[in-house]
Amino acid sequence: MSKFNFPFIKETSELSNLRKEVREFITTCINNDEFTPSPDAWVFSADPSFSKKLGSKGWLGMSFPKEYGGHQRTALERYVVTEELLSSGAPVAAHWIADRQSGSQILRYGNEKQKSSIIPRITAGECFFAIGMSEPDSGSDLASVKTKGTRTKDGWKLEGRKIWSTGAHLAHYMIVLARTSPASEKNRHEGLSQFLVDLSLPNVKITGIPDMTGQRHFNETLFDNVELSDDSLLGEEGKGWKQVVGELALERSGPERFLSHFTLLDSFINEFRNSLIHSGTKIVGKLISEIQTLRRMSFSVASMLQNGESPETQAAFVKELGNKFEKMMIETLREFSNIVPLHEWPNQLQNLFEDATLRIPSNSLRGGTTEIMKGIIARQLGLR
Amino acid sequence: MIEELEIILETTSKILQKHVNHSLRQNIVSENTDILNLWNDIETNGLPKISVKEKFGGYEIPFFSILPLIKIVNNHGTPLPLSETILSNYILSESDINPPNGIVTFASDTKNLQIKDNMISGEILSVPYLNLTKNLLIVHELNNVKKAILIDEINGEIIHKKNFLAEPRYNIKVENLNIAEIRPIKNSIDFNFLGAILRSAQMIGAMEKVLDLSINYCSERKQFGRALSKFQAIQHQISEMAVELSASSAALSTITEIGLGEKNSNDAAILKIRAGFAAGKIIAISHQVHGAIGFTKEYELSYYTKNLNSWRNDFGNESFWEELLGKKFLEKNNKNLWEYLT
Repeated sequence: MSKFNFPFIKETSELSNLRKEVREFITTCINNDEFTPSPDAWVFSADPSFSKKLGSKGWLGMSFPKEYGGHQRTALERYVVTEELLSSGAPVAAHWIADRQSGSQILRYGNEKQKSSIIPRITAGECFFAIGMSEPDSGSDLASVKTKGTRTKDGWKLEGRKIWSTGAHLAHYMIVLARTSPASEKNRHEGLSQFLVDLSLPNVKITGIPDMTGQRHFNETLFDNVELSDDSLLGEEGKGWKQVVGELALERSGPERFLSHFTLLDSFINEFRNSLIHSGTKIVGKLISEIQTLRRMSFSVASMLQNGESPETQAAFVKELGNKFEKMMIETLREFSNIVPLHEWPNQLQNLFEDATLRIPSNSLRGGTTEIMKGIIARQLGLR
Repeated sequence: MIEELEIILETTSKILQKHVNHSLRQNIVSENTDILNLWNDIETNGLPKISVKEKFGGYEIPFFSILPLIKIVNNHGTPLPLSETILSNYILSESDINPPNGIVTFASDTKNLQIKDNMISGEILSVPYLNLTKNLLIVHELNNVKKAILIDEINGEIIHKKNFLAEPRYNIKVENLNIAEIRPIKNSIDFNFLGAILRSAQMIGAMEKVLDLSINYCSERKQFGRALSKFQAIQHQISEMAVELSASSAALSTITEIGLGEKNSNDAAILKIRAGFAAGKIIAISHQVHGAIGFTKEYELSYYTKNLNSWRNDFGNESFWEELLGKKFLEKNNKNLWEYLT
């Protein structure tokens, strides 16, 4: 079990000061009506002008090197900033994927041209990304993707369909996982490659898919023989699987896995503090213990990333626990309606609650299902 | 100190590997020479006084730093109250009482306790391993001052013996029993907090073992032509054990690293809630994946799960700490939740 340790990392006073600075900025934005806090904001709430503002504050691409416009700060500093943004429900969806995973992926595997043309724009909050993993026939079984990259005289031709592609309609690029040579019988993970695809290219067609809340963030992205330049390949040909697994560690371990509905919890407690003192201390204590443990673990993973480790399994732990916590939290709030009936809750709180109830099934699907997380953990335990 | 601790951990593992086996656990009585031999080795290596001040002959390693030792002791399923002795001796030493040699157990609960003329009367409840020692620490509040009371010749009427859980536990009624030492306890020493942390560390050590037992059993046991571990339904259950355990371990290492002060006093509550909850899950799943063999006395799983059941109820169960934690926050009217958490 020693391999699943989550070493304790202290929040230094420098980090606490940064936290304060971000919090003050957010409070000012809310007071100036620049945004209304919303739930699941990192998926649903995109505001390019807010992203640009964060960029000018130096809070995007924080850990990226200075030569590419980054700030060479630590993953722990980035963690603190993301926590503050998430807990306040700020509109971060536009840049979220670029800042969380695509930028790091390009820095790690990209060529000089890719780095120098894209990273400074991500850092400025002007360049957004969508994820190009799932397909109509490939979800949990990611290695079965059928999107195909074929070599041409001057580059590559991309053909296939990606689905879900959250935010693709607002994004400038997508990192696409595609098959560039047939899978070998022994290892299906061979022959996959990642491409950095400009979504404004001809023959890229993005169609919205309304989700069950009626909102659009999902898309289907069609690549109908898209001509790609030679340097569109990201990283090494045939090494796409290894690259994508590293990308998923960035995707799964962050505080968005347990703070997506924090604004709901916060409003709930502010509204019902007096009733909770009499009949809800236990539920509040339970929620506090869960959040603090998750923060503690997620912060520890940030430090592993900072140290250049590959905490794929630890990321799966955080995601699995975080997903469970969010479901439990909404269920706990629902049970409280036994004390104050739901129809007596203020309208805004009712809306937040119903909205969360509606959205919560997606939390244990996006970024890898519960079943996949448990499978990853089982493999590390030597069961597979 | 870190190096010193590492050597101690290594030595301890060796001692326990040498002595502890499942048959030892079936016969926890003072006449058992194997039990005596184990204790002698433990004592020769100074383990009972690891957190005792040097002036009393201890190693003076802070109590929070030795939690990894508590984990190891209980990972081996050691059928002796070494964990209780370490905490008791620490509290005695911090209260400027020279801890006695040998096993020292403690009482977390009492009824109608009266102290007069340096003598004590009343009921002392749920005392672990009282059959192995005459030394008992009682923490009791007297005229609004918390006192450490050491009895070195415990004697009285056993009014209840609980033995369906793995460790022996006794309720004892005493009358005009001599007190060996009585002194006020420092404010910084909260027996309930320390006890909750101790039990959590014990649970985590035991849960690690239960996870290992489950993985090993499911990898060896074949049904329907393949190992149980190849069934996805089994894999997912065992993954869940690992997830719960890792959350508890994370909560424990916070305290191991920074101790427990006024600023992070919530961490003890968080740890006990997390470990108690995990224990519930892990007890249920480990028995489920083991099938009937896990339900036998002969197989060691039940030794661990019985203790887990016992420890998760000691020093406040999850509800107790959840209420405490929730109340503490809710009564701070000026703070919203996020500010409070950070």
